[in-house]
Amino acid sequence: MTSLNHETVNGALVLKPSRRIDSSSAKAFEDDASALLDKGPKKVVIDATDLDYISSAGLRVILTTAKKAKTAGGGLTIACAKNNVKEVLAVSGFDNIFGLHDSVAQAISSLA
Amino acid sequence: MTGRLDMSLANDVQEVARVIDSLEEFGAAHGIPAEQCLRFGLALDELITNIISYGLAGRSDGIIVLAIEQRDGILHAELGDNGPAFDPLAAETTPPAGDIESRDVGGLGLTLVKSFMDRLDYRRVDGFNRLTMEMKVKAA
Repeated sequence: MTSLNHETVNGALVLKPSRRIDSSSAKAFEDDASALLDKGPKKVVIDATDLDYISSAGLRVILTTAKKAKTAGGGLTIACAKNNVKEVLAVSGFDNIFGLHDSVAQAISSLA
Repeated sequence: MTGRLDMSLANDVQEVARVIDSLEEFGAAHGIPAEQCLRFGLALDELITNIISYGLAGRSDGIIVLAIEQRDGILHAELGDNGPAFDPLAAETTPPAGDIESRDVGGLGLTLVKSFMDRLDYRRVDGFNRLTMEMKVKAA
Protein backbone atom coordinates (compact mmCIF):
# COMPACT_ATOMS: atom_id res chain seq x y z
CA MET A 1 0.00 0.00 0.00
CA THR A 2 1.46 3.34 -0.94
CA SER A 3 1.23 6.50 1.12
CA LEU A 4 1.81 8.66 -1.94
CA ASN A 5 -1.38 10.43 -3.08
CA HIS A 6 -2.18 9.43 -6.62
CA GLU A 7 -4.95 8.98 -9.14
CA THR A 8 -5.29 7.86 -12.72
CA VAL A 9 -6.65 10.44 -15.15
CA ASN A 10 -7.19 9.51 -18.80
CA GLY A 11 -4.68 6.69 -18.46
CA ALA A 12 -2.02 8.93 -16.92
CA LEU A 13 -0.72 8.32 -13.42
CA VAL A 14 -0.96 11.58 -11.47
CA LEU A 15 1.31 11.61 -8.43
CA LYS A 16 0.58 14.24 -5.80
CA PRO A 17 3.41 14.40 -3.26
CA SER A 18 2.67 16.56 -0.23
CA ARG A 19 4.91 18.98 1.72
CA ARG A 20 8.45 17.87 0.95
CA ILE A 21 10.56 15.48 -1.04
CA ASP A 22 13.77 15.78 0.97
CA SER A 23 16.64 13.39 1.64
CA SER A 24 14.62 11.56 4.27
CA SER A 25 11.48 11.05 2.15
CA ALA A 26 12.92 10.62 -1.37
CA LYS A 27 13.36 6.85 -1.09
CA ALA A 28 9.71 6.33 -0.09
CA PHE A 29 8.58 8.45 -3.07
CA GLU A 30 10.77 6.41 -5.43
CA ASP A 31 9.48 3.08 -4.10
CA ASP A 32 5.83 4.18 -4.22
CA ALA A 33 6.14 5.65 -7.71
CA SER A 34 7.91 2.55 -8.96
CA ALA A 35 5.23 0.23 -7.53
CA LEU A 36 2.47 2.34 -9.13
CA LEU A 37 4.23 2.34 -12.52
CA ASP A 38 4.57 -1.43 -12.35
CA LYS A 39 0.77 -1.59 -12.56
CA GLY A 40 0.89 -0.43 -16.18
CA PRO A 41 0.57 3.33 -16.71
CA LYS A 42 3.27 4.82 -18.94
CA LYS A 43 2.49 8.51 -18.56
CA VAL A 44 3.28 10.22 -15.28
CA VAL A 45 2.34 13.70 -14.12
CA ILE A 46 3.81 15.09 -10.91
CA ASP A 47 1.08 17.36 -9.53
CA ALA A 48 3.17 19.68 -7.33
CA THR A 49 0.21 21.67 -5.97
CA ASP A 50 0.89 20.54 -2.37
CA LEU A 51 4.67 20.33 -2.68
CA ASP A 52 6.53 23.05 -0.76
CA TYR A 53 10.02 21.74 -1.19
CA ILE A 54 12.23 19.47 -3.25
CA SER A 55 15.92 18.73 -2.73
CA SER A 56 18.47 17.18 -5.10
CA ALA A 57 17.55 13.77 -3.62
CA GLY A 58 13.99 14.52 -4.77
CA LEU A 59 15.18 15.48 -8.25
CA ARG A 60 17.10 12.23 -8.41
CA VAL A 61 14.02 10.11 -7.71
CA ILE A 62 11.93 12.09 -10.21
CA LEU A 63 14.62 11.39 -12.78
CA THR A 64 14.56 7.68 -11.90
CA THR A 65 10.77 7.66 -12.23
CA ALA A 66 11.00 9.50 -15.57
CA LYS A 67 13.50 6.99 -16.92
CA LYS A 68 11.22 4.15 -15.92
CA ALA A 69 8.25 5.79 -17.63
CA LYS A 70 10.30 6.47 -20.75
CA THR A 71 11.57 2.89 -20.91
CA ALA A 72 7.94 1.76 -20.79
CA GLY A 73 7.24 3.98 -23.81
CA GLY A 74 5.73 6.95 -21.99
CA GLY A 75 7.04 10.02 -20.22
CA LEU A 76 6.90 12.32 -17.22
CA THR A 77 6.06 15.97 -16.78
CA ILE A 78 5.34 18.38 -13.92
CA ALA A 79 2.29 20.55 -13.16
CA CYS A 80 1.40 23.33 -10.70
CA ALA A 81 4.84 23.87 -9.16
CA LYS A 82 5.13 26.59 -6.50
CA ASN A 83 7.90 29.20 -6.62
CA ASN A 84 10.38 27.37 -4.37
CA VAL A 85 10.00 24.16 -6.34
CA LYS A 86 10.16 26.02 -9.68
CA GLU A 87 13.39 27.65 -8.60
CA VAL A 88 15.05 24.30 -7.80
CA LEU A 89 13.81 22.89 -11.11
CA ALA A 90 15.24 25.92 -12.93
CA VAL A 91 18.67 25.81 -11.27
CA SER A 92 18.90 22.10 -12.12
CA GLY A 93 17.63 22.52 -15.67
CA PHE A 94 14.86 20.00 -14.93
CA ASP A 95 12.24 22.54 -16.03
CA ASN A 96 13.50 22.17 -19.59
CA ILE A 97 13.83 18.39 -19.48
CA PHE A 98 10.36 17.68 -18.12
CA GLY A 99 8.37 20.80 -18.87
CA LEU A 100 6.29 22.76 -16.37
CA HIS A 101 2.54 23.12 -16.79
CA ASP A 102 -0.06 25.32 -15.12
CA SER A 103 -2.62 22.54 -14.81
CA VAL A 104 -2.73 18.77 -14.58
CA ALA A 105 -4.97 18.67 -17.68
CA GLN A 106 -2.39 20.58 -19.73
CA ALA A 107 0.34 18.31 -18.41
CA ILE A 108 -1.56 15.19 -19.45
CA SER A 109 -2.22 16.49 -22.95
CA SER A 110 1.47 17.35 -23.34
CA LEU A 111 2.28 13.66 -22.90
CA ALA A 112 -0.26 12.50 -25.47
CA MET B 1 14.90 40.32 16.91
CA THR B 2 17.48 37.66 17.63
CA GLY B 3 17.09 33.97 18.27
CA ARG B 4 19.15 30.83 18.23
CA LEU B 5 18.54 27.16 17.60
CA ASP B 6 21.12 24.51 18.56
CA MET B 7 20.84 20.93 17.39
CA SER B 8 22.93 17.81 17.72
CA LEU B 9 22.21 15.36 14.89
CA ALA B 10 22.46 11.60 14.66
CA ASN B 11 24.35 10.17 11.68
CA ASP B 12 21.10 9.27 9.92
CA VAL B 13 19.50 10.85 6.87
CA GLN B 14 16.11 10.81 8.64
CA GLU B 15 17.45 13.67 10.74
CA VAL B 16 17.05 15.98 7.75
CA ALA B 17 13.28 16.03 8.27
CA ARG B 18 13.77 17.02 11.92
CA VAL B 19 16.13 19.85 10.91
CA ILE B 20 13.66 21.30 8.40
CA ASP B 21 10.74 20.95 10.84
CA SER B 22 12.75 22.74 13.55
CA LEU B 23 13.81 25.43 11.11
CA GLU B 24 10.17 26.01 10.10
CA GLU B 25 9.22 26.43 13.78
CA PHE B 26 12.18 28.75 14.32
CA GLY B 27 11.21 30.80 11.28
CA ALA B 28 7.57 31.06 12.36
CA ALA B 29 8.66 32.23 15.83
CA HIS B 30 11.00 34.86 14.38
CA GLY B 31 8.90 36.20 11.55
CA ILE B 32 10.94 34.70 8.72
CA PRO B 33 8.77 34.05 5.65
CA ALA B 34 8.12 30.31 5.19
CA GLU B 35 9.42 30.27 1.62
CA GLN B 36 12.78 31.65 2.73
CA CYS B 37 13.01 29.17 5.59
CA LEU B 38 12.58 26.38 3.08
CA ARG B 39 15.38 27.80 0.88
CA PHE B 40 17.65 27.79 3.89
CA GLY B 41 16.43 24.32 4.84
CA LEU B 42 17.22 23.07 1.36
CA ALA B 43 20.85 24.19 1.65
CA LEU B 44 21.08 22.49 5.06
CA ASP B 45 19.43 19.35 3.66
CA GLU B 46 22.01 19.09 0.87
CA LEU B 47 25.01 19.69 3.12
CA ILE B 48 23.85 17.39 5.94
CA THR B 49 22.98 14.66 3.41
CA ASN B 50 26.50 14.91 1.97
CA ILE B 51 28.05 14.62 5.44
CA ILE B 52 25.94 11.56 6.30
CA SER B 53 26.23 9.86 2.90
CA TYR B 54 29.97 10.42 2.41
CA GLY B 55 32.01 11.99 5.21
CA LEU B 56 30.51 9.99 8.06
CA ALA B 57 29.25 6.96 6.09
CA GLY B 58 29.49 3.81 8.20
CA ARG B 59 30.92 5.63 11.22
CA SER B 60 29.45 5.07 14.67
CA ASP B 61 31.45 7.95 16.20
CA GLY B 62 30.07 10.58 13.82
CA ILE B 63 29.25 13.96 15.34
CA ILE B 64 27.12 16.58 13.57
CA VAL B 65 26.24 19.87 15.24
CA LEU B 66 24.14 22.69 13.89
CA ALA B 67 23.56 26.19 15.23
CA ILE B 68 21.12 28.56 13.54
CA GLU B 69 20.79 32.24 14.42
CA GLN B 70 18.98 35.23 13.12
CA ARG B 71 20.82 38.55 13.50
CA ASP B 72 20.28 41.88 11.78
CA GLY B 73 18.04 40.48 9.08
CA ILE B 74 20.43 37.67 8.23
CA LEU B 75 19.89 33.98 8.85
CA HIS B 76 23.18 32.34 9.88
CA ALA B 77 24.04 28.69 10.34
CA GLU B 78 27.15 26.92 11.43
CA LEU B 79 27.33 23.26 10.56
CA GLY B 80 30.08 21.12 12.04
CA ASP B 81 31.07 17.47 11.59
CA ASN B 82 34.02 15.29 12.56
CA GLY B 83 34.34 13.57 9.19
CA PRO B 84 37.48 13.75 7.04
CA ALA B 85 38.42 17.27 5.92
CA PHE B 86 36.13 18.23 3.05
CA ASP B 87 35.57 21.72 1.69
CA PRO B 88 32.27 21.61 -0.22
CA LEU B 89 32.97 25.05 -1.64
CA ALA B 90 36.06 23.75 -3.42
CA ALA B 91 34.20 20.75 -4.84
CA GLU B 92 33.59 20.96 -8.53
CA THR B 93 30.02 21.66 -9.60
CA THR B 94 29.32 21.16 -13.25
CA PRO B 95 26.44 22.94 -14.92
CA PRO B 96 23.48 20.63 -15.48
CA ALA B 97 23.42 19.06 -18.92
CA GLY B 98 22.10 16.09 -20.81
CA ASP B 99 18.71 14.57 -21.52
CA ILE B 100 16.69 12.17 -19.39
CA GLU B 101 18.90 9.23 -20.37
CA SER B 102 22.27 10.78 -19.64
CA ARG B 103 21.44 13.26 -16.89
CA ASP B 104 23.52 12.90 -13.77
CA VAL B 105 22.37 14.62 -10.59
CA GLY B 106 25.72 14.28 -8.81
CA GLY B 107 26.97 17.66 -7.65
CA LEU B 108 23.56 19.22 -8.07
CA GLY B 109 23.06 19.57 -4.33
CA LEU B 110 26.07 21.84 -3.98
CA THR B 111 25.00 23.85 -7.01
CA LEU B 112 21.71 24.53 -5.21
CA VAL B 113 23.52 25.47 -1.99
CA LYS B 114 25.76 27.97 -3.80
CA SER B 115 22.85 29.39 -5.71
CA PHE B 116 20.61 29.94 -2.64
CA MET B 117 23.10 31.20 -0.02
CA ASP B 118 24.48 34.75 0.05
CA ARG B 119 27.70 33.80 1.83
CA LEU B 120 29.48 30.52 2.56
CA ASP B 121 32.71 29.97 4.43
CA TYR B 122 34.60 26.75 5.19
CA ARG B 123 37.18 26.13 7.89
CA ARG B 124 38.82 23.02 9.31
CA VAL B 125 39.13 23.48 13.08
CA ASP B 126 40.32 20.90 15.64
CA GLY B 127 39.35 17.89 13.54
CA PHE B 128 35.97 19.35 12.55
CA ASN B 129 34.68 20.65 9.26
CA ARG B 130 32.94 23.96 10.00
CA LEU B 131 30.75 25.50 7.36
CA THR B 132 29.23 28.92 7.93
CA MET B 133 26.20 29.89 5.85
CA GLU B 134 24.34 33.18 5.55
CA MET B 135 21.17 34.19 3.80
CA LYS B 136 19.61 37.65 3.83
CA VAL B 137 16.02 37.55 5.02
CA LYS B 138 13.75 39.60 2.81
CA ALA B 139 10.54 41.08 4.16
CA ALA B 140 7.49 39.02 3.19
